[in-house]
Amino acid sequence: MLFFSYFKELVGREVTVELKNDLAIRGTLHSVDQYLNIKLENTRVVDQEKYPHMLSVRNCFIRGSVVRYVQLPPEGVDVELLHDATRREARGG
Amino acid sequence: MSGGGEKGTGTTKTPADFLKSIRGRPVVVKLNSGVDYRGILACLDGYMNIAMEQTEEYVNGQLKNKYGDAFIRGNNVLYISTTRRNLADGA
Amino acid sequence: MASEEESAVKEPLDLIRLSLDERIYVKLRSDRELRGKLHAYDQHLNMILGDVEEVVTSIEIDDETYEEIVRTTKRNVPFLFVRGDGVILVSPPLRTA
Repeated sequence: MLFFSYFKELVGREVTVELKNDLAIRGTLHSVDQYLNIKLENTRVVDQEKYPHMLSVRNCFIRGSVVRYVQLPPEGVDVELLHDATRREARGG
Repeated sequence: MSGGGEKGTGTTKTPADFLKSIRGRPVVVKLNSGVDYRGILACLDGYMNIAMEQTEEYVNGQLKNKYGDAFIRGNNVLYISTTRRNLADGA
Repeated sequence: MASEEESAVKEPLDLIRLSLDERIYVKLRSDRELRGKLHAYDQHLNMILGDVEEVVTSIEIDDETYEEIVRTTKRNVPFLFVRGDGVILVSPPLRTA
């Protein structure tokens, strides 16, 4: 639940989602669910030269399981809050 | 303890009993990728997540890395095998 | 030692718990390695790392000599969420006692 809650707080921010097939998509986080499926808006593919067929994609739904990384905006990371939430989660099992 | 155990492993009835019995022993953990980890098994859980100490990483039989402590995510594990400690390591 | 209970390693995830706010090494699938400060994790090994260095190792074959050329690509990312299913190994910094 920790990361689901975290990503919910991040809605409206710009993130870069890097997929396991090496495609990286930047966009505004529109929504997230418990599987960490992600909906992005105002998207652009980071390497447009390499993926021209993605040029017209303006928003997309990304299945959680294909995500490798999400680059987070530094303003959207409260380190102390994350530590506390992590310790609480670890205790809960 | 019903005797007849092999080399101090004790007689183990189920895979879970085996896993319980090998804590603190030198092991080799083989991953699906073929990479081997040799070290002391500190503990493990039901997902076969493993904590090891004095871990050495072998790729194609060659020592590639050493870690003081290492956590291995269980889904990567092919097998866990007990070993005799390398002679060089002594006690 | 009041924290005897807290610092004991009883299950593998304790190793990760004790590394919170420390720099860790993470080995991932597809020949990727990360070094960064651990800010959050869960039981799947999903993580948030800070001040991250990623190293990607690739092997290319030379067109003419067919020699294997090992190439490493490095980059730095301020904050990175890492999905746990790609994690192979996590190593905390060396602890004393």
